[in-house]
Amino acid sequence: MKRRPSAADFEREALPYLSALYAAALRMTRNEKDAEDLVQDTLLRAYRFFDTFQAGTNCKAWLFRILTNVFCNNYREREREHVVMTEAESSPANLEQFVGGGGADGRDVETALLGRMVSADVEKALAAVPSDFRMAVILADLEDFSYKEIAEIMDCPAGTVMSRLFRGRKILQGLLRDYAIEQGIIQPEAAPRDAEAPVDIAAYRRRREQGGDAS
Amino acid sequence: MTCADLTASFQAYVDRELTGVDREVVERHLVGCPVCARQVHLQGRFKAAVRAHLPRPEVPLALKLRVREALGAQEIAPRRWPWLSYPRLVPAAAAFLLIVGITGTVRQTQSAVLEQAQRSYHAEMPMDITGSDCGSISSWFRGRVDFPVHAPTLGGGATCQGGRLVNVGERPAAYLVYRVQSGHRVTLLVFDPRDQALEAPERRVVNGREIYVESGPGTSTAVYRDHGLGYVMTADLDEDALTRIVTTSFAH
Repeated sequence: MKRRPSAADFEREALPYLSALYAAALRMTRNEKDAEDLVQDTLLRAYRFFDTFQAGTNCKAWLFRILTNVFCNNYREREREHVVMTEAESSPANLEQFVGGGGADGRDVETALLGRMVSADVEKALAAVPSDFRMAVILADLEDFSYKEIAEIMDCPAGTVMSRLFRGRKILQGLLRDYAIEQGIIQPEAAPRDAEAPVDIAAYRRRREQGGDAS
Repeated sequence: MTCADLTASFQAYVDRELTGVDREVVERHLVGCPVCARQVHLQGRFKAAVRAHLPRPEVPLALKLRVREALGAQEIAPRRWPWLSYPRLVPAAAAFLLIVGITGTVRQTQSAVLEQAQRSYHAEMPMDITGSDCGSISSWFRGRVDFPVHAPTLGGGATCQGGRLVNVGERPAAYLVYRVQSGHRVTLLVFDPRDQALEAPERRVVNGREIYVESGPGTSTAVYRDHGLGYVMTADLDEDALTRIVTTSFAH
């Protein structure tokens, strides 16, 4: 007969992920109080249903799935986020501006845009990405989950994970560029967008309304 | 393979999601194509740079204490199916569950799709595609769901607002959002109705068509079939106003 899990099992399996859960919760709720509540709700729920967790399987993914569920049910409504996407289709040149070329031309990421921005700028930009896309970026880029794991965590098909991740990164690039201009790190004229990309939200909407595809 | 054929797979390559032949094809192309190689290199650097800028914040001590205290006051819920711990009883339990499952499925799945539509309505989830052209929104779902999506015309000056890919049961489904002229928001969940019993407390017949209606706090929901697809419409309107919108959609 299988032994029932104990409190000690839970501490050993789940609590090592406390800091990963808190980091994701803080970036999803965007404030410390809600983040602490979300983590506590998640862990209490996980603890109550710990007997349904199969020992030896991916505990981190299981916990993140609970976190995502609790967030969607209890916290997302508070966000009052705008549905409008501030998406910019970055050209390769734009991406180069963020991270520098590296390699042969001797430029390094430190001299490029992202190197000159502080963490607070990047946090601010990430916080402005709509929640589904932000969650995909956090899970893939900060927590190293695979597409399959993210699909299970976010309860959506793997194809949707890929498109949310793709768009999440594009939106993040657009927002980072806006902050860089705002703070005078780069000049607007020095940061050309792809000619196909909208220059503002109104133009973006117009393009959509004329039959543009959002994918 | 041309650059255009492969661009879409660069993200998966950078995320180390490609294996075997898929990975080899991309790598062979990158060796001979400096433009794509640069693009892949930059994507990888962007990912790394974002990560470097976003370290994990320290967990507040107060949270650690709160968690320990809260866990100490709780218990792990008792196993809900304790007989599954006895391997000899598993076949008998499985047979029992199968019988209960068959008789219980209808009620369970019915409430699931209805509840899902109502929950989604209140959550105001962000859209995967936005725009007022119902045709573009419909065609965005091509290849993403296993059936053709035609966002119906709802009358009353209703305009499309956007769409989102969701799951109903195990299958992908389309979630459409409209705004009617009076300012009310109407959402429509379009799904493959296999395994889903479409029922709600009140049955109505309009123009010879059956629809089932339920009202909750501040919203009403209508469930019906059309051309072999299942639809759940939800709006912050009363049952009669919602029924009129459904009827208009049949007429078109």
